Amino acid sequence: MSSDAKGIKDRVREAISSGKRPTKTVLSSLLSVHDELGYLPDEAIEEVAALSNTTINEVWGVATFYTNFRFTPPGRHLVEVCWGPTCHLAGAGKIIDSIQKQLGLSSEGETEDNQVSLKYNTCLGACAQPPVASIDHRLIGRLTANSAMRAVSEVLSK
Amino acid sequence: MPDEISLTIDGVTVAAEPGTNVLQASLNAGKYVPYLCYYPGMKAFGACRMCVVEIEGGPPGTPASCTVPAANGMVVTTNSSKLASVRRGIMELLLAEHPHGCLTCHRIELCGPADICLRHVSVNDRCVTCPKNERCELKDTVRYLEMEMDTPLTYNNRHLPLAVSDPFWEMDMNLCIVCARCVRVCDEVRGDYAITLQQRSGRSLIGTSQGTSLLESGCEFCGACIDVCPTGALVERNYKWDKAVSTVTTTCPHCPVGCQLNLEVDKRGRVIRSIGDIHAEANQGQTCYKGKFGLDFVNSKERLKRPLIRRDGQLMGVTWDDALDHAAERLAEYQDGTYALIASPRGTNEDNYVAQKFARAVMRTNSVDVSSNLRPELVSPLRDLLGYGAATNPIWDLENAKGFLVVSSNMTEEQTVAAVPLKKALSNGATLIVIDQRETELTRHADIWLRPRPGSESALLGGMLRTIMDESLDDHDFLADNCDGLDALKYSLWRFDLIQVEASTGVSQDDIRSAARLFAQTGPAAILYGLETVAAAQREACVTALVNLALTTGNVGKPSAGLYPLAVGANAQGSIDVGCTPDLLPGYVEVADSAASKSLERAWDAPIPARPGYRISEITNAINNGDIKALHIIGDSPNFTNGELGSFVEALERLEFLLVQDTFASQITNAADVVLPSATFAEKEGTYTSMERRVQLLRPALAPRAEERSDWLAISQIATRMGAQRFGYGAPSEIFDEISDLVGLYGGITYGRIGPRGLQWPCLAADMLDTPVLFEAGFDARKAKLGQMIPAANPEPANADYPMHFARGRLLHMPEADVEIETNNGRNRIRRDDVIEIHPEDAAVLGIAEGESVEVASTRGRMRGVARLTGRQKSLISSTALFGQMITSLEHDTSPDPMLKAPTLPLLPARLSKVSETAAAD
Repeated sequence: MSSDAKGIKDRVREAISSGKRPTKTVLSSLLSVHDELGYLPDEAIEEVAALSNTTINEVWGVATFYTNFRFTPPGRHLVEVCWGPTCHLAGAGKIIDSIQKQLGLSSEGETEDNQVSLKYNTCLGACAQPPVASIDHRLIGRLTANSAMRAVSEVLSK
Repeated sequence: MPDEISLTIDGVTVAAEPGTNVLQASLNAGKYVPYLCYYPGMKAFGACRMCVVEIEGGPPGTPASCTVPAANGMVVTTNSSKLASVRRGIMELLLAEHPHGCLTCHRIELCGPADICLRHVSVNDRCVTCPKNERCELKDTVRYLEMEMDTPLTYNNRHLPLAVSDPFWEMDMNLCIVCARCVRVCDEVRGDYAITLQQRSGRSLIGTSQGTSLLESGCEFCGACIDVCPTGALVERNYKWDKAVSTVTTTCPHCPVGCQLNLEVDKRGRVIRSIGDIHAEANQGQTCYKGKFGLDFVNSKERLKRPLIRRDGQLMGVTWDDALDHAAERLAEYQDGTYALIASPRGTNEDNYVAQKFARAVMRTNSVDVSSNLRPELVSPLRDLLGYGAATNPIWDLENAKGFLVVSSNMTEEQTVAAVPLKKALSNGATLIVIDQRETELTRHADIWLRPRPGSESALLGGMLRTIMDESLDDHDFLADNCDGLDALKYSLWRFDLIQVEASTGVSQDDIRSAARLFAQTGPAAILYGLETVAAAQREACVTALVNLALTTGNVGKPSAGLYPLAVGANAQGSIDVGCTPDLLPGYVEVADSAASKSLERAWDAPIPARPGYRISEITNAINNGDIKALHIIGDSPNFTNGELGSFVEALERLEFLLVQDTFASQITNAADVVLPSATFAEKEGTYTSMERRVQLLRPALAPRAEERSDWLAISQIATRMGAQRFGYGAPSEIFDEISDLVGLYGGITYGRIGPRGLQWPCLAADMLDTPVLFEAGFDARKAKLGQMIPAANPEPANADYPMHFARGRLLHMPEADVEIETNNGRNRIRRDDVIEIHPEDAAVLGIAEGESVEVASTRGRMRGVARLTGRQKSLISSTALFGQMITSLEHDTSPDPMLKAPTLPLLPARLSKVSETAAAD
């Protein structure tokens, strides 16, 4: 086993035992790991199974049920583009297209260098400022294709 | 709560038991309601919505009848045009993801795979190319619904790759309708959770964590998921495409649980599938890896076809007459006590009764035993102390027990199906104490796992008894009413003070106390013991202690309690019942009891020798000493070659005459002078008596393929040739009638009475019922005896070369271990570093550090692994493998009957050494 994988195992263990979640259940343990690592590596499934005295399959069944869990490492930056009705009418399609072109993506997902995760969001709750995106959880409104790409390159250069 | 509920289904008033749902009530009343996700014996799931009904006085609309509890006064309609249209609508949704060109076609039974199809259904979408064709529940349901042919033939093909790399099992998720029966049977019934429902809603499908192999996902390869699958999504790999022409229910030959199997036979006379019989009381539809996937040996082309005689050093094929004449002539030379017979645990009661009768009445010796009977002490103290040498309760009683004590038994592998109700009870909150040096599946479920020093098991049990007495946890009333010898037992416990017990067992006083308290305070509690790692000298004391534990806590004579000896060998119990043992005649008559044996002598018209014969464990020595000159072996046994009988195969060279009746050529037949081909269980008629005293029928599924004969017939023919009069049996039922005449416990059992559920002895007369739970009405006229506890001498190490003990364990699932699955030639295998657990003090003496390479040399080979200094017991080395590793080796085993010799987990004398860096690199 590589030292990298060992490292992940230790991080998973630490996250589970850190006690930030009040109860120890399969779900709370998975959430602890997800909070800490941003995703659920294979080791998390195994560790949680061992901890809760069940099998990897039961844990996997729980984990895959929730679409908010992810199983691959997230990008360093998170770009969410709203495609709710208001933003859609205000031209979210163009924003998405331009950012995807800029990042070399064809849908949601991570860039090849894992610098950016692109996600579509159904509503970011800022319907007065369409179209809206959120970059690393900071809202930007009244976007144009150009200003959106600029905002993404800004965060990439950080 | 009323005893019975009355409801109206389609205008007919029917009765239902409280707790049943509307679907069960209508099925029980003979009203078919289509269903796909419901399965008998499992909780309602309500996923497929096929069983919708209309209920006046119940939920509104069209509820799924499996999720509605039956209630008094309900008026249920199971069929109406509205329901039919709802069901068809639901079925169309299911078919939107399942190939259905054939399902809705009127020519479904007529087309072949390559016929030209007007509907343009491609070949691989046709039902004829589905492995479950003709036994598909989805198809039956579609037929029942009389689906119109107007559904579009296109469907959403998931285009998922088939999972075909795991042993014995194949999965095609393109055919799955996500009824989740497989996941539920694995979880609810088997307690394994080896497969799961992944994701949710429309994307939900069956799979394993990250799509890994079943080998590391906790699968026990019982095949229960295959048996419940209503489509072709899960199937057996072997004979995947073969179609059955007949089905015969018979008894499994692999272990003493006595599972009833429905054997499917194809037109070429091969057993192609084995499916647990859901109506059988012994297994309730469950099987295990052996019964499900380990019966192919009956189809083997390597089976012995005709009798063989050694002429000029070579085994030559001869006719039965020649072989029998020769055998009879040679055996006549050894009627002076120098003959011994080793019968097979797969022999039926009839086979083994005739075998022992032959040995005693014709060969004038009591040296007759069964090859698996290495631990006769499992049952003998039960007979002495309680009255019957057998399990006191039925297997499925375990389901409702609240506590368990399991002593040295790997029952999840050896008597797998008996562990199914146990695991079910555990998931309902029952407590479990395991005493075992090895890590097994049950130790994972245990509340308390005690690993006593090898050889100190009886001391540990004595310590528990002492605690129960000291803390007054015993059942005073039960003891006073039912038991003798309490004072003597209490007195004998004075030498089991916990300080001393701790010193000899290496188990802390606290652990002993908590185990004793847990056992005494949870009831009803069952005791299951195999004593697989317990030294011979300790076994009787252990069983005595266990009987004492059961009696003092009042756990005998009531449901869901009792004692379960876990022997190996399908007919281990029956063989003893019919006297196939050196010290007991049929019906538990002591050999030395000349008065009692008179009636047998009259029945057999022959004197019975009064001296007990050689046990199976003494045979090798007796041959080497020249006391046994002629040996008669029926059936193969792993014990012949695994060292349990010493150098048995070498000893065969010293014999003057060796007669073997067997199905396959082996080392044993190679040494034989006469070899007679035996029929297998699948061709036999007869009875087995299972570990729960259940007498069940073997029904022939196959016709004899060559010249093989049933063992009782061959032995009777030899006996008749030797001039014996009372061996003129025409059929097994005649032998069984003789058994029921002579063996009181079987007095009321006849073939006609046995029926599908079997009968549990004692069943004394034709007008009496059988006895599922022993001693429920007390201990007859006498009382149960409490045995005295005798402290064992401190165990010596096995020998100077091997000063330590090596306890190998095996688990289904080790999420914490680093396991890699590699796929070679399309087959999955497990690759992992074996971890060897050592006590830190032992490691210090040998200079071994954590993580270093070490080698264990045992009496049965060597093993290398990585040292972990986490051992709890000095001079005990342990290592735990994965069940998946064994399953792959069984799958690749080319011997004719690999499951017969599935590796067990004995405790081995061993020594430990460090592997130097250079040697480790090899």
